Amino acid sequence: MLFADPLFGLPTWIDAIIRIVIVVLVMTVFVIYSTYGERKLVARFQQRLGPMRTGPWGLWQGFADAIKLVGKEDIRPKNADRWVFELAPYATFIPVLLTLMVLPFAENWGVRNLALGVFFVFAVLGLNIVGILMAGLGSGNKYALLGAVRAAAQMISYEIPLVVSLLCVVMITGADTGNGVGTLNLNTIAALQEDRPYILLQPLAFLIFFTAMLSELHRAPFDIPVAESEIVGGYFVEYSGIRWSMFQLTEYASMWGFAVFGSVVFLGGWAWPFGVDSHWALQLATTFTKALAIVIVIIWIRTTVPRLRIDQLMNFSWKVLLELSFLQLIVNGIILYYDWPQEILALTSAVGAGFLIFLIIRHASARSTKGLLGTYRTLGASSS
Amino acid sequence: MATEVIWWLFALGIIALSAGVVFSRSVIHSAIFLIGSLAGVGVMFVILTVEFLALTQFLIYGGAVTVLVLLALMLTRADPSGRAEKVNGPQAPFALLAGIGVAAVLLVAALSTEWAGNTESPTNIAIEAISQRLFEDFGLPFILASVLLLVALVGAIIVARQEEGE
Repeated sequence: MLFADPLFGLPTWIDAIIRIVIVVLVMTVFVIYSTYGERKLVARFQQRLGPMRTGPWGLWQGFADAIKLVGKEDIRPKNADRWVFELAPYATFIPVLLTLMVLPFAENWGVRNLALGVFFVFAVLGLNIVGILMAGLGSGNKYALLGAVRAAAQMISYEIPLVVSLLCVVMITGADTGNGVGTLNLNTIAALQEDRPYILLQPLAFLIFFTAMLSELHRAPFDIPVAESEIVGGYFVEYSGIRWSMFQLTEYASMWGFAVFGSVVFLGGWAWPFGVDSHWALQLATTFTKALAIVIVIIWIRTTVPRLRIDQLMNFSWKVLLELSFLQLIVNGIILYYDWPQEILALTSAVGAGFLIFLIIRHASARSTKGLLGTYRTLGASSS
Repeated sequence: MATEVIWWLFALGIIALSAGVVFSRSVIHSAIFLIGSLAGVGVMFVILTVEFLALTQFLIYGGAVTVLVLLALMLTRADPSGRAEKVNGPQAPFALLAGIGVAAVLLVAALSTEWAGNTESPTNIAIEAISQRLFEDFGLPFILASVLLLVALVGAIIVARQEEGE
């Protein structure tokens, strides 16, 4: 379970605490600067400057925001369910924290090296919904309840393609480990991608993973649970001050967790392109660069794509992503069973990815006669 | 020694949470206590170093089953604030009877079984061994079980569909 010998020969539990503190500190710095970075990037995409006043180029803005949030009054609505309401922010944060515990940031460097790393991430992700449901049920507010129902429906639906797309990669590792048995260990998965990242072999799985990740994170265009123009703010509408900032912290921390996880599973983690023997600082920089690239793409998508409707969201998960992810799984199985070369793997997956992009573009450019707008149009045509 | 203390602490915690499930006045609180209790059982598995079982416990009972319960509560309840309400109906004595019956059966089964394995120094079974047993040695029962689940899923959708169409 341990990565390597404990630091400085300390007892394992002290070593674990030190590692957890380091990981949490890095996460906090990321959260503070990603809120700043997001505002800056969004501002640039919209031809504005973004925060400029607090420090040079507004660099201290994140800290200023954090201090302001801590100083705010912690309000609890009168008809809220007290303990459910107060514990919900912490219940959402714990799964994210647990996810960070198994991620390898450099070779053999993380908090714990679990043989079941990928499975651990699945198991813990499922608990994520509990805190959101607690917030929705405990707030005593119908908007919060609606937001929580939307979040739960969305997260349950997108968890399936997410898990299946990761299973595709776990299958591929079986061809690399040598003995034909795949691995669930994240550190090993990263090391196996020394020559090429798995995104080259599994572009379709990566696209499915990325889409499902956006949905699990409630990022645009899947930010329906927190849609401020429809349900004011979703499940955390009644929260303020420190508890509200816990929800924000959870959101950005899970973005960080998912970005590192995605870069380890699909983009080669610390191993590609400098190899497993490179210096640890280089490995760390590689992981962080890849994770930051994913985060920047997430923000970029937020400023580019408008929010989907709830039925479009569900249809996309159940009618497109689920089928394509199962297709990828079956095709992988056939290719691996007959020991065909990995180029065929890459080719079939690329065809699938092209098909997915074609579907999206065709749907986006079609003059729709379905859905709410389509019904309205047809009704208008028949009545006039 | 330390492990044993932690074990008993968690055992007490599980019992307290399970009591919370039974005695709490609101159904939502019961559901949340249930999550805690099931997660506590998962932690017990971690202490016994059966990681796979622990993670499955978290995945199925912590993530899936209780979320289903909470979602059902959410969709069927008009009052979202989770205020105290009457949960005991005329079925209460029968529920007590059924509960005592299940508890008795479980106790007798647990005490009379000759358990394989050693609780003093539990062995960690590799995931490869588990998957070997599940997908190769017992492949056909596994497939049959998944087909059964698929049929149940399709059946549930058909039942729900018919009500919607009428």
